Amino acid sequence: MDFTLTTQQRDIQKAASEFAKGEFDPDAALDYDLRQQFPLNVWKNASELGFIGACFPEEYGGQELGLLENALIVETFCRQDSGIGMALALSDFGSEMIVRNGNKDQKKKILPFIAQGEGIVTSAFLEEGCFLAPFATTAKISNNECIINGMKSFVTLGSIADYIIVVCQTRLDTPHAQTVILLKRETDGIEVSSMGEKVGMRMVPVDQVAFANVRVPAENIVGQEDTGYFQLQDFFNEMRIKTGAMGIGIAQGGLDKALEYSKKREQFGKPIASFDAIRNKLADMYIDVEMARLITYKAAWSFDTGAPDDRAILISKMIASKAAYRTTYDAVQIYGGYGYMTEGHIEHFYRDAKVLDLFLEPGQIQRNMLADHILGGVSEK
Amino acid sequence: MYKNLYRKEHLLFREAFKCFLAKEIIPFYDQWEKEGIIPREVWKKMGQNGYLCPWVEKEYGGAGLGFDYSFIITEEMAYAGVYGLMAGLHSDIVAPYIHTFGDKAQKKKWLPGCISGDIILAVAMTEPDAGSDLSSIRTTAKRDGDSYIINGEKVFISNGILANLIVVACKAEIESRSPYKDISLICVEDGSPGFSRGRNLEKTGWHSQDTAELIFKDCQVPASNLLGERGKGFYYMMEKLQQERLVSAIMSQASAEAAFDMALDYCKQRKGLKQAEIPIDANGIAEMATDIEIGRTFVNSLINDHINGEDIIKKVSMAKWWTSDMANRIISQCMELYGDYGYLEDYKVGRFFRDARAHPIYAGTNEIMKRIIGRKLGI
Repeated sequence: MDFTLTTQQRDIQKAASEFAKGEFDPDAALDYDLRQQFPLNVWKNASELGFIGACFPEEYGGQELGLLENALIVETFCRQDSGIGMALALSDFGSEMIVRNGNKDQKKKILPFIAQGEGIVTSAFLEEGCFLAPFATTAKISNNECIINGMKSFVTLGSIADYIIVVCQTRLDTPHAQTVILLKRETDGIEVSSMGEKVGMRMVPVDQVAFANVRVPAENIVGQEDTGYFQLQDFFNEMRIKTGAMGIGIAQGGLDKALEYSKKREQFGKPIASFDAIRNKLADMYIDVEMARLITYKAAWSFDTGAPDDRAILISKMIASKAAYRTTYDAVQIYGGYGYMTEGHIEHFYRDAKVLDLFLEPGQIQRNMLADHILGGVSEK
Repeated sequence: MYKNLYRKEHLLFREAFKCFLAKEIIPFYDQWEKEGIIPREVWKKMGQNGYLCPWVEKEYGGAGLGFDYSFIITEEMAYAGVYGLMAGLHSDIVAPYIHTFGDKAQKKKWLPGCISGDIILAVAMTEPDAGSDLSSIRTTAKRDGDSYIINGEKVFISNGILANLIVVACKAEIESRSPYKDISLICVEDGSPGFSRGRNLEKTGWHSQDTAELIFKDCQVPASNLLGERGKGFYYMMEKLQQERLVSAIMSQASAEAAFDMALDYCKQRKGLKQAEIPIDANGIAEMATDIEIGRTFVNSLINDHINGEDIIKKVSMAKWWTSDMANRIISQCMELYGDYGYLEDYKVGRFFRDARAHPIYAGTNEIMKRIIGRKLGI
């Protein structure tokens, strides 16, 4: 067993850190958050340096890195700024399905486009009041054509994405019979509307996407017909690890700031870092970050070996989102009144952290899934 | 509800105030949150209806009721999540300084305005380098003939934009034997020469609550604006903090109850619609309800003791930190019951989440509460 990162991995970390420190302007971050704007310039620059689509095969403009390396980038970006970090991490949301299941033409069309920062892709699966299967959004496939009808919710970056990967129900009698379809956002019959303001993650618009008789050629189907549900499961596994990476980044960012502030801020004639109340917190925060990091790296490593450890992957998302929440809660507390003010540059980490608990699936669902795993399939249902 | 805490008159008062909230405050609140401030007329409406400082004697224009009535107002406002209009700060935290330590002339001059809403109050303690450590404040007041000349800077002052009477903690030329013995409280009125306000600050929550920096640059106020005795400010503040912390605990408790009630309703609705794909965590809900019940029992017992004049410094410090952390824990969990929807501002639980984060910080941080408890335990 070897817990050290390779030289290449450390170089990637270092490059990501230098980029983030140089390009993520703290005041601009507050401004993007306030105005709910995607950090377009930062994203462009990140893609120029190969930080977007880093997992893509080299022939499609990527660097063929593993998920662990990608997680290091996501972590490092979120550590520098939770908002910008998450926005960049979500700019290729769903491309994983193209990499894994797409055909040559689809890969050629879309992967270099994303990696070079020419456009954004997103994925649409969630629906109002429904989790994963069956979906009410349907695709009728006949005569080499798909006709899509329905409505998807919580589509991240829906309003600015160039491509949307939508998961549709293709057979009504079989809940798992779903099909993944790649399409341009600017296709007739697609209408995108905002779901409004959010508590955090405000640089990433979250939208509803309505499909009214949207017609696309059958060549836009990703992978086999009716395999969407299973593609989505794989995608979720990958996203759980990425979410874990966002979590450890945000948690570490909160800890970094809290350490710096508590050494500098003096009350009662000495730095607040010398008081038990603060020291206890800092130690707990460090424990949270370190635990979350270990399990997230383990999850990513297992994924890259080709034998994903489903339990580690579930734990990664759960622990890292809790670590992000708890650590930023404490960081705000250590900052005191300044912590609650936007200009303290810490409170947006706290608002952003909370999304991780809710993202993909609420923690309670993951807890149930993990319980199913460790019970060996024994379930009430 | 704590046994015998509320009588029939209290309940009628509560119902009347809830109607007022529903009619005059709640429908407009989202707009005020966007604007970052509460219109001054709303404060006046509160006053006209007897909801500011209801505990002040009739001779000053008050209703002559007890703090128990004030606490009902605080509780209902926190339950509705309308923190911007900080009536609790005005009525139960700042006005008591004037009432207890002011002389007859000061009370006659200011209390009627506090009751009518023509005067909005603030108290300025915190400075850039003096937060938890109050004794280290640097704002000074120099006696000059019939005036005090105040110099210094206060930060994060609630009601900082609207306040037209501010109780300022400053050091007023006392030969310092101890840092605690040279603080004085001086009232600064709006329009005093040399007094200005900074920006209305952006915050995690409480968006309609005007929180600002106050700047005193050779600010001149009449010497008669000194509250009580020179050099007694620190002790005055300590005396009043029991009530401030109780108000904070009441707010935290009510906000947890409100978020829980909303989330429970939401879960029941979803169950009715058979949209139970997202599991409803009945076990977690039961645990939350238990936490809330424990908090309610504690808070009501403290309201009772406080009104009976007991010294509850230790217990109220416990309640302040515990209820504020509990409220954040509960609200965060409630958000998860909504799934992704909990993160959307259209669902009120998100605002409760943002607002609740203030409770563990103001009125003495939770770390300071634990320090006080430790001292009371002799460690």
